[in-house]
Amino acid sequence: MSRADAPGASLYHRAVVWLLFLILLLPLAGTLLYSLATSWSATILPDGLTFKWYLQLWGEPRFLKAFGQSLLVCFGALALSVVLILPLLFVVHYHFPKLDALMNVLILLPFAVPPVVSAVGLLQLYGSGPLAMVGTPWILIGCYFTIALPFMYRAITNNLQAINLRDLMDAAHLLGASTWRAAFVVVLPNLRKGLMVSLFLSFSFLFGEFVFANLLVGTRYETLQVYLNNMKNSSGHFNSALVISYFFFVLVFTWAANRLNRDKA
Amino acid sequence: MSFLSIQNLHKNYGSTAIFSDINAEIEQGEFVTLLGPSGCGKSTLLRCIAGLTEVNGGRILLGGEDLVPLAPQKRGIGMVFQSYALFPNMTAAQNVAFGLRMQKVGKAESAQRVQEALAMVELGDFAGRYPHQLSGGQCQRVALARSLVTRPRLLLLDEPLSALDARIRKHLREQIRSIQQELGLTTIFVTHDQEEALVMSDRIFLMNAGRIVQSGDAETLYTAPADAFAAGFIGNYNLLDAPTASRLLGRPLSSQVAIRPEAIVLGQGPISAIIRSHSLLGNIIRYRVDAGGVELLVDVLNRSADDLHANGHPISLDIAASAVKEVA
Repeated sequence: MSRADAPGASLYHRAVVWLLFLILLLPLAGTLLYSLATSWSATILPDGLTFKWYLQLWGEPRFLKAFGQSLLVCFGALALSVVLILPLLFVVHYHFPKLDALMNVLILLPFAVPPVVSAVGLLQLYGSGPLAMVGTPWILIGCYFTIALPFMYRAITNNLQAINLRDLMDAAHLLGASTWRAAFVVVLPNLRKGLMVSLFLSFSFLFGEFVFANLLVGTRYETLQVYLNNMKNSSGHFNSALVISYFFFVLVFTWAANRLNRDKA
Repeated sequence: MSFLSIQNLHKNYGSTAIFSDINAEIEQGEFVTLLGPSGCGKSTLLRCIAGLTEVNGGRILLGGEDLVPLAPQKRGIGMVFQSYALFPNMTAAQNVAFGLRMQKVGKAESAQRVQEALAMVELGDFAGRYPHQLSGGQCQRVALARSLVTRPRLLLLDEPLSALDARIRKHLREQIRSIQQELGLTTIFVTHDQEEALVMSDRIFLMNAGRIVQSGDAETLYTAPADAFAAGFIGNYNLLDAPTASRLLGRPLSSQVAIRPEAIVLGQGPISAIIRSHSLLGNIIRYRVDAGGVELLVDVLNRSADDLHANGHPISLDIAASAVKEVA
């Protein structure tokens, strides 16, 4: 019998895991309760429960606008990523495999430079001149593209390496398929898993992005995180409802990503 | 002119020549093997015939038509890869049907031909399986069916058995050979395994360092190696330089000689030797003997345990003059 199977040890392990889980859950549970409370100040438990903060939040046009704009910027950046990265990966791995080493250095850059530093750089570059995009959603889409790039590149590269791209393309060619046809019919379906997982991962990450959104665009094109920041002086109950709504949304996405990961494994 | 005629074919990567001046004539229905060590250019030659790698000069005539300017899609060539190269997102049947789909063959006809092709490789019941649900041998049979279903003029097999375990390899090579003979399909098979080449081929092209060293049937290659490389690559020839061979055989020889280990008679003869070691290869015992300072391999049929000569045992041996092949 291994140590983990002993009843005492098992109980101990479970206790540790549950305790850790509780500690992590506590602030979230507190926020959830606060967002459902009518008022909660001098008592241990809230005075009463209500949905009014949620109703108020989801009836607030400014919130809905920020939510929609966040979605738009994220989807825009991800669409741009798919359109640029898929052909790039295909070209790198099929025609110029040696470039993969260079790409691996390039995709580290967004991590190597702290967001505040690169935001200042972007402000300098795109603040004026022919590409004055600061304050518009376009700069966020471009900037978010660079953040999504590493996730997408790595995940899809792993996927590509697992399928033996060159032999598959050769086989498809000999069976009469053109390069385009082979790429769409033979290669693309096999990248679905890596693509979907990296899209969901990037989405959860970008949806919660604050530094770039605040510095590059701020209130001129308010995203969800910037809105949350701007509302920090309003009612705590209202903000809690906002945070919980945000968490719930990301949770659904993470769950979806997990499901996709499991289906084809 | 023969069915497939390769004329003065050149291939180089930058300034490195992979092969040059390759000439070969292959008849319709022939099973030809390109045999050679890794890096000898045999796989590249195969890829050039398929059109997957461009050539730098020369012609490849198939039925009188030059293939070199044609894209791989237009060559009418089927190919099986070492890695199987099955499309992971498609079932066995969909994989086999892929070529017919590209040729826009009608659904009913396609379904029937796919079923026939799968039945030919004894996988009729596996049509709905995905590649990851099949064993390596089954995958390679699906790949074979996929390359046969389009009725290619020429079938290319690029080390198709190398990734499989020994038992399956043996079974599959018999299956490939019998299907090839049944269809009368001109086939070029690439391998580095001499046994595979000897067993399967009508004719073998032995390649080394980008050129064809020798071509001929299995018998010729095995018993009359053209040069020291051929002797060293096929079988386990004893290669002796001229002075050593002259000393051992007691007669003057002007060139290097090759002696097959099973052609040396052990236990009688004019040459005295000492057994250094022996290894049991199943039905054969391979002795390493020292004949006056010359080390020789001698193969003897393993008839009974009583015949075994102990290490260090002195022994006499005989080498018939006909067993001594002078090689360049």
